[in-house]
Amino acid sequence: MWFSIDFNSHVPVYKQIKEKIKSMIATGKLKKGAFVPSIRSLAKDLGVNLNTVSRAYRELVLEGILKVVRGEGYVVEGLDTERFLGKKLEEFRKMVLTLKGDGIEYEKLEGILREVYGGEGNAES
Amino acid sequence: MLRVEGLKKSYGNKIAVNDISFEVDRGEIFALLGPNGAGKTTTLKCIVGLRKKDSGKVEIDGKYAYLPEKKELYRYFTVKKMVEIADYYTEEFDKNKAYKLLSDFQIDLKEKIANLSHGMVTQVYLALLLSQNADIYILDEPTWGLDPVMRNRIIEKIRGLSYEGKAVLYTSHILAEVEKVADRVAIMSEGHILEMDYLDVIKEKYVAVTVRKGEKVNGYKWKETENEEVYIVKREDAGSEYEHVGFDVIFEAIVGRDRK
Repeated sequence: MWFSIDFNSHVPVYKQIKEKIKSMIATGKLKKGAFVPSIRSLAKDLGVNLNTVSRAYRELVLEGILKVVRGEGYVVEGLDTERFLGKKLEEFRKMVLTLKGDGIEYEKLEGILREVYGGEGNAES
Repeated sequence: MLRVEGLKKSYGNKIAVNDISFEVDRGEIFALLGPNGAGKTTTLKCIVGLRKKDSGKVEIDGKYAYLPEKKELYRYFTVKKMVEIADYYTEEFDKNKAYKLLSDFQIDLKEKIANLSHGMVTQVYLALLLSQNADIYILDEPTWGLDPVMRNRIIEKIRGLSYEGKAVLYTSHILAEVEKVADRVAIMSEGHILEMDYLDVIKEKYVAVTVRKGEKVNGYKWKETENEEVYIVKREDAGSEYEHVGFDVIFEAIVGRDRK
């Protein structure tokens, strides 16, 4: 497994790893019951310290997203998708507020939504 | 693995290290950061006994390997001869590992040390040091004078030590490198440790706030704009309007205040 880590970001590295794994679960790239890489192998693949991956996994276990299988590793337990998506929507809402503050009109945003969703469920196409 | 408690060292009237304490655990990479003259090198020298400490305690569980700040090797020996000498004088030295590392670093064994660049001498020194079996590796500026690609390879080697359960204590002034490899950091200035924590925790702990000039703020002043001042403060002291900042800004603000 590989994804890009931004070491200079203000977002701590362990958090970047957590978020990435969550989104892989949310999008179905990681399925319930599947093994995630061992701490050592993910650390090696990403080029980060063992302690960093270990903290990310530990917190994912605490959040009920990963489960420890003794002697074997970590498996995907599941993700409270609703909560995960809820958080994403909350981020979207904040972004919309910023854009509104910048004076962007509603129609412009609607246009973007329509473009991205390709007219799904709407009258556009 | 390593415990330092209340370490103090002065050179004449000048206090170089002023009552610092920290620990480094197995499998942990601990970085000492700070501007030149902060006391990092003196701290390492006191730990390995090259300088006599004035007071305080240093405890090391097991063997250490030490890379000094000045990476000097006998100029008139060849690289191969240096390996043989290291093998002769060093306990638990793995000669084959040294040859392998030197070949990885593309250094010619027949070359005289005098003909190598600064960066290459550092690489030879590192190759010798990494071939020494120890419990804690104490490295003073291990990537000094190296180009970015080689620096990354050395970083990988240092990380590899932690994978084997070794402890690493090192100093560097290249923050981007420290952000890649350090688990915990201590930020030093003028002999004191001003902040010490997991790097990830420090990133989460501090944010930037902008205030009117002269307003009192509990934090580290980072910079001034025309009418305002920017402070780095703990998140819980920040109120609702703040900006996230990178570790470089946090570091600059923390050591900056002490300098004035």
